[in-house]
Amino acid sequence: MKIRKAVITAAGPAQRSIPVQVLVDHEGVQRSVLAILIQVVLKAGIEQICVVVHPGDEERFREAAASESCNLQIVTQQEPGGYAHALHCARGFSAGEPILHLVGDHMYVGLETGGAAKELVALAEAEQCTVSAVQSTRESELHAFGAVGGRRLASLPGAYKVENVIEKPTPTEAEQQLLTPGLRAGHYLCFFGMHVLTPRVMEILGEQLQAAADSRTVTLPTVLAELSRHEQYLALENFQRRYDLGTPYGLMMAQMALALRSPQRDEIVYQILDLFSDKELGRRGGNLL
Amino acid sequence: MKPIQPGECVRIITSAEPAVRDRSLDEVCEAASLEELLAECDALEKFRRSSSNLYEQVRALFFLYAIYRFHLPGRLSAGTGSLISYAGYTNLLNRRFNEAIETFLSAQQNGNPDPSLASALAAAYKGLGFQTLADQVRRSVRSVRGNQWMFRAGHSSDSGLKLQPELLRQQPNGLYPVLQEQTPVRMDLTHCGWSDIFFLGMDFPEGAKVLNVSIDLAVREAGTGIPAPPVEAYLRVIDEPVLRLTSVDLKASADVTSVSEVFDFARDYLGLLKSAVIASGLVPPGMEGSTQPLSALLERLTGKTGCGIEIVSKVNNIPKGSRLAVSTNLLACLISVCMRATRQIRTLTGSLGEADRRIVAARAILGEWLGGSGGGWQDSGGVWDGIKLITGMAAGPDDPEYGISRGRLLPSHHVLGLEEVSAATRQKLQDSLILVHGGMAQDVGPILEMVTERYLLRSRAEWAARQESRVALDRIVACLKAGDVRGVAEATQKNFDGTIQTIIPWANNLYTQTLIDRMREAFGEKFWGFWMLGGMAGGGMGFIVDPAVKAEAQDVLQGIMSGAKRSLQRAVPFAMEPVVYNFAINENGTFATLLSGDASLMPPEYYSLQVPPLIRLGTAQLTPARRAELEVFNEACQNIPQFRSTVRGLFDSMLPRRAKTVGAAKLGLHELLDLHGFDRRHHEDIQAGLRSGRLGMSQNRLPSSTLIEDVTAADYLDATSALPDRLRELGEQAITQGQIAVVSLAGGAGSRWTRGAGVVKSISPFCRFAGKYRSFVETHLAKSRKVSRQFGMSVPHVITSSYLTHDAIEGYLQANANHGYEGPLYVSPGRHIGLRMVPTERDLRFAWEQTTHQMLDEQAQKVRESLHSALINWATRTGEAADYTDNEPEQCLHPVGHWFEIPNLFRNGVLSRLFKERPQLRYLLVHNIDTVGASVDPALLGQHIERGAAMTFEVIRRQIEDTGGGLARIEGRPRIIEGLALPAQELEFSLSFYNTNTVWIDLDALLKVFGLTRESLDDSARVSEAIHRMARRIPTYITLKDVKKRWGKAQEDVFPVTQWEKLWVDMTALHELQCDFVAVPRARGQQLKEVSQLDPWLRDGSANYVGQLCDWAE
Repeated sequence: MKIRKAVITAAGPAQRSIPVQVLVDHEGVQRSVLAILIQVVLKAGIEQICVVVHPGDEERFREAAASESCNLQIVTQQEPGGYAHALHCARGFSAGEPILHLVGDHMYVGLETGGAAKELVALAEAEQCTVSAVQSTRESELHAFGAVGGRRLASLPGAYKVENVIEKPTPTEAEQQLLTPGLRAGHYLCFFGMHVLTPRVMEILGEQLQAAADSRTVTLPTVLAELSRHEQYLALENFQRRYDLGTPYGLMMAQMALALRSPQRDEIVYQILDLFSDKELGRRGGNLL
Repeated sequence: MKPIQPGECVRIITSAEPAVRDRSLDEVCEAASLEELLAECDALEKFRRSSSNLYEQVRALFFLYAIYRFHLPGRLSAGTGSLISYAGYTNLLNRRFNEAIETFLSAQQNGNPDPSLASALAAAYKGLGFQTLADQVRRSVRSVRGNQWMFRAGHSSDSGLKLQPELLRQQPNGLYPVLQEQTPVRMDLTHCGWSDIFFLGMDFPEGAKVLNVSIDLAVREAGTGIPAPPVEAYLRVIDEPVLRLTSVDLKASADVTSVSEVFDFARDYLGLLKSAVIASGLVPPGMEGSTQPLSALLERLTGKTGCGIEIVSKVNNIPKGSRLAVSTNLLACLISVCMRATRQIRTLTGSLGEADRRIVAARAILGEWLGGSGGGWQDSGGVWDGIKLITGMAAGPDDPEYGISRGRLLPSHHVLGLEEVSAATRQKLQDSLILVHGGMAQDVGPILEMVTERYLLRSRAEWAARQESRVALDRIVACLKAGDVRGVAEATQKNFDGTIQTIIPWANNLYTQTLIDRMREAFGEKFWGFWMLGGMAGGGMGFIVDPAVKAEAQDVLQGIMSGAKRSLQRAVPFAMEPVVYNFAINENGTFATLLSGDASLMPPEYYSLQVPPLIRLGTAQLTPARRAELEVFNEACQNIPQFRSTVRGLFDSMLPRRAKTVGAAKLGLHELLDLHGFDRRHHEDIQAGLRSGRLGMSQNRLPSSTLIEDVTAADYLDATSALPDRLRELGEQAITQGQIAVVSLAGGAGSRWTRGAGVVKSISPFCRFAGKYRSFVETHLAKSRKVSRQFGMSVPHVITSSYLTHDAIEGYLQANANHGYEGPLYVSPGRHIGLRMVPTERDLRFAWEQTTHQMLDEQAQKVRESLHSALINWATRTGEAADYTDNEPEQCLHPVGHWFEIPNLFRNGVLSRLFKERPQLRYLLVHNIDTVGASVDPALLGQHIERGAAMTFEVIRRQIEDTGGGLARIEGRPRIIEGLALPAQELEFSLSFYNTNTVWIDLDALLKVFGLTRESLDDSARVSEAIHRMARRIPTYITLKDVKKRWGKAQEDVFPVTQWEKLWVDMTALHELQCDFVAVPRARGQQLKEVSQLDPWLRDGSANYVGQLCDWAE
């Protein structure tokens, strides 16, 4: 199994403007979020990229990706049918091939060299199966993520065999169904926003969307839960940082993280401290510097 | 009898072979000598300390308890003078059981084995056994998957719960939707010998089986009579940052704003709702002690600033104590609605799936533990639907219990489908079964402890009965599957008559047996059988009849219950008038509905409670959602039938109607006070003394400089072994000549017997002798009869009474034709009465904080402390030392101590009449009504006569449970001292003997001390003056007693109240009265103060001892 294609979803009404935002990346170069994601994907060895967008956003996204030379295809989600439905819109692009999938509103700092995406693809190709990047997450944050439960594979460091998948579980459900030996108490493996999906995933997705009265009730975790009942499904633990750009200050935090890895790091740190000194300590009559 | 092999007890515990493992301890110990038993105790003690297996430890602890409590005392001499160490005793009270055991064992090694030390060791081992069990169940509850995270969440940001979006959408009418949950209750067709106790299920899963049915109910006489789910819970978002909790049926509501208040269970009547809030994870148990504002957590849950959550509970007209697990199912109902709302259960509405039911049940167990209560594992059966077989499950490798207990905490539920129990059978069951609440108020806790103890000891008969109960369940299931309801009835009756009562004789009582007998008389063959619900009979019960007579039988049974209650209500505690239910099997289990639009209202009764304060508040101060709600409510009052009657309730609530005049027969408090010669001036003196601090519990004590020592051998006579024949002959001669009469003191309220329920203990049918339930009065008469017949001379018997007990005792004797007592029988009416007072904070704190008392298990203790704080608030708010009048008039009065009961004989003419009838009368044997072993023993009487003492007090060697003073040398002179008067509690443990309050009196010597003669007894002025003069010399003690206040649907609150009393034992302080003290065997001197003493009293041979003293004239 060779993974040549990647799908980035960016059609959600709340996320559609995020990938076109411009940040200063770790090299000190201004790039759109989409361009940064495309760089990650390309470094993982991907040859063709598809971005699923809201109708009317095609041009903006092309422009946002213009800095990167890649084989890019834009697909529109014609009606707002939810995230899983958006992914399904790329079925023509995937055309029966496995895909690397990223969500458009997440930024992965520390992946500039391909990092986890590359490892994810390598593991999926070696094991010939779907693999999701996951991160150990505290139970109080479960309401924001899809989560998996399973057991560690001794032969593959950082890899888990997934036995159950639940979308945004409560701690109660997680404790009953997602306990994974080897993690700290109260921690669960939550999706990192990055997966390698086999063609079977797209098939199950199609079946579930067809059966559902409302496509928004179908989620990637429900599809992956079904998949795990049919074929091997692995998770690969990732220790790098991810920023959800859709949350308040998400973009700012991602920018800060990038800036702190850039050549201008010292200047940025000085400016932050200066700002803090002036605006915070100064107000209380103190002065840090 | 097989001789005991060394280490046999340990082998029984560790053996994997059922034939060895299930051997009865009694059987093993029967043939053992004292030395062999002590060696077994040593081996068990070493074993229980070295074993890492919890269940082995527990069994070893109960073996040790049983050996020290039941097997060793009979092999020990009556007492070697060993004292129970006070340090050990306080360790015991503080639940530091291991330290207590070490102290007592060390004392035993340094001296000789002794019954006193054996009693202390037994208590410590038993306490540790139950504590170990409770700890393990608690650990299991916490380790159930789905519960663990809640104990890790210590901060609002640790909570991962969010409310369902549907509940957060404010509707166009301004209201938030309401999530309503309705839950049936459960009845158990059989519980296989209480096998639903957690510990039994976890140790013996193969024996844990229950057939459990979810039912809807309606009280037959009330409302429509159409059965409906008995418990309901409601949850919605509100636009105020508070947690608003309301119990509609208890008429209580509170806006909770701090985390600490959520954990304050006994502060109000909302403890159950709070338990549900915590157990559901809304406010996780890990947050206990957190100082964060609750609003932060509410904001996280709702995702909105300034929003909160409202939860309402409602029980539909079902009284407490129904034995249908109403409170557990209400807890489960509340937990379910909270878990649905926070997406822990995926289905917002409708029934639950199996996995969700299991987690709700696990959380209900957690909630019960949090609230300091505890039921069985089948109790949340109402969460499931229909008829189900619940069975214990062996723990597997994936279970947290694996390797710790043999079984899992949570059993398995198999819902019997229509193919197993047909619709026709279900209908037949409903057409045949009459469910009732008999009305008795009961505490099932001691029964459950007895069951656990007997199971661990594998007592021969009980263990055989336990095996039979499994067969009984199989038979009931088979009958149900075959559609044979009559067969079910026969099996439940057989189970009740045989298995249940073999395991626990106290499961039945006179009231229940009367109902069964009268139903059988009324319906003969058409009464198919009785069926006990829950832990014991008397409350919720089932009677199965031929469907053809069901309607008639319901009416007749209602009449039988009401009649039986009328005849017994002064003798046993009833919480309510008996009721008959209509019921139907509920095939949904717990079920939720989302009320939206104009239906998003709380139940109508909620508004009767909430609207009056809102109206007083004024519209300007109402939040927008409240204003909108009142508008919708107003519409509902006009358009929705069940809301129409609410308006009237509103007026009743805002303008309470004047109390209706109670029937002429029922006297008011002031009339009662007048009738019984209440001394207002004395009462006001006491009130003034309490308020000024001159009187109080700490002032009861003698000065700390008083020299108090244990008595020496010269200070008492020893009658623990046979006395010389000459004394016996002297006594026999006096009896034959008619010189002795018996006085049973029965004027007291017996507060500890029923925790202040106000029943008359002396006529309580407390135990079965010779196949019948017998009261204390009947037992004492039977002893006097035996002596009368033996010596051919009737012994006059006097029963003293008070305002509380007189009518009841007279009525009882009349109804039972004096139990055929041939001799003279008098009831001596009381002449003194007191009015109870609200306690002072100082006395409450003295009683709860400055004196040692038994600590409870961790969570129960927290609840108790919360209750204490609430009661101190009540006392200060109501007015310290104020008259206590907020209860039934009889419950506001109190008897003033048994000192008055003897002088009353002078004043009310009883003694004078006795002298006229029997001039040769010279001696009285006076004893407490609950000292059932006291009898006219010729040798003791002979000794009293020979020594010429004015009074001879009987004492017994102190054992661990004997607290309340004893025989002491006070400033070098032996006398009896009350526990209340001891300057320090530890002094009591330096006294070898405990007072039985049984006393032989020389009448002429006593009259002389009072300044009276036989002849002057007819001079009432002189008698009154003499009594008054003597009373002034006797100390007045201030005491706290529990009194029950009944309200609502069989609800009971227990209040501590202040009263005063004078006690007869203080006569021993009078220098002019020569008093002797005689040590007697324990079986003769033991008093039965609490119901929980009955079982060990029956098992240790004391009951048998009493039985042999009696002649029942049958």
